[in-house]
Amino acid sequence: MKNGGILKEGGWHMKVECSAFVLALVLAAAPAFGRDLAIPGSFQKDAAPAGRIKIASGAVFIVRAGQTIPAQAGQPVFEADALRTGPDGRLGLTLKDDTRLSLGPSSEIRLDRFAFAPAEGRLGFVMSVVRGVAAYVSGQIAKLAPDAVRLETPAAIVGVRGTALVIRASQE
Amino acid sequence: MNHARLVGLLGATVAAALLAACGPKHVKSPEPAPDPKTATLVVLLPDDASGRSGFATVSPSPGSKARGSVELAAAREATIVGINRPPTSVTVMSEEEIKRQFGSLLSSLPPAPQHFTLYFRFESDELTAESRALVPDILRAVKQRPLPEVVITGHTDTTGSSTSNFELGLKRATMVRGLLGDAGLDPSSIEVTSHGEAVLLVRTPDNTYEPRNRRVEITIR
Repeated sequence: MKNGGILKEGGWHMKVECSAFVLALVLAAAPAFGRDLAIPGSFQKDAAPAGRIKIASGAVFIVRAGQTIPAQAGQPVFEADALRTGPDGRLGLTLKDDTRLSLGPSSEIRLDRFAFAPAEGRLGFVMSVVRGVAAYVSGQIAKLAPDAVRLETPAAIVGVRGTALVIRASQE
Repeated sequence: MNHARLVGLLGATVAAALLAACGPKHVKSPEPAPDPKTATLVVLLPDDASGRSGFATVSPSPGSKARGSVELAAAREATIVGINRPPTSVTVMSEEEIKRQFGSLLSSLPPAPQHFTLYFRFESDELTAESRALVPDILRAVKQRPLPEVVITGHTDTTGSSTSNFELGLKRATMVRGLLGDAGLDPSSIEVTSHGEAVLLVRTPDNTYEPRNRRVEITIR
């Protein structure tokens, strides 16, 4: 079952088997919790950029460790970064494994996990489309470890087998 | 219809009636369309190079009250997932509609990275003549790009240990960086890395001599 593999990835939500309400609370809190944990330990391990902004226009921002910084073409992005666009903003990024992403206006994505170290057996890509619209073109992580790739929105979870897609998480 | 199925159907009807009586939040039908403000739309696109597409499995988020997943397996197939709703059945979006809704989004995608693979002469750390001849093409590809990044990745076959192959891959990649530096690229803008024997071009068992796996890949993005 393809889904089995995708759901297995996020071990933290397997423990909770009570009401959907509690589950929703845990899900809402988990990404922030994970980021806090990542700062002392795994932040150093993945200090190398996940990729780079290639195209930027209008009001565009990187949200890193709670700080919102204006984004521009050429800037590196890291695991755990969020990217945000204003009503006139657009962004295009290329990641280290050849994954390509773009964001439309009034959109936000979060790079929850990016690991591309095949020699160490570390491969993973988890991205949340928090709001607005994003395009995703899969790279080598999806080729080498398709079960480790997951795209999430407030309503849905998407597993991919080497492909390109558009996800619209919300519409004004 | 046999007896057991009839009983089952009756049971289901009674259960549905009971559920409906419990309050409005349990009413299942008729299913209203998902709220477009909060619903997720997923559209599979054709891969730009081949025109083929992969596939995507779309499910309600783990916190959703809904179950069931839908598979998008051909270009322009789409589904909508509302909050606490299962994905709608697959529809196909027209090319015009995709262009209208997502044209500017898709034009913000950076160009696809370009790859070159260089091979070594038999039992040697020297590139083959064919690989050497690719250097001008590599330089041209770098110059054509805005904000180019160059990554040189060394790969080995499965002869020897994975640790020594990591080192060997790195040595080959560093050698190629020197070569590109001599040809006019700024070596400090080139990243060198190794995947050792972890990413084989030709799948082999461990400890297998395979010249096609001894290679250096250059990614320009």
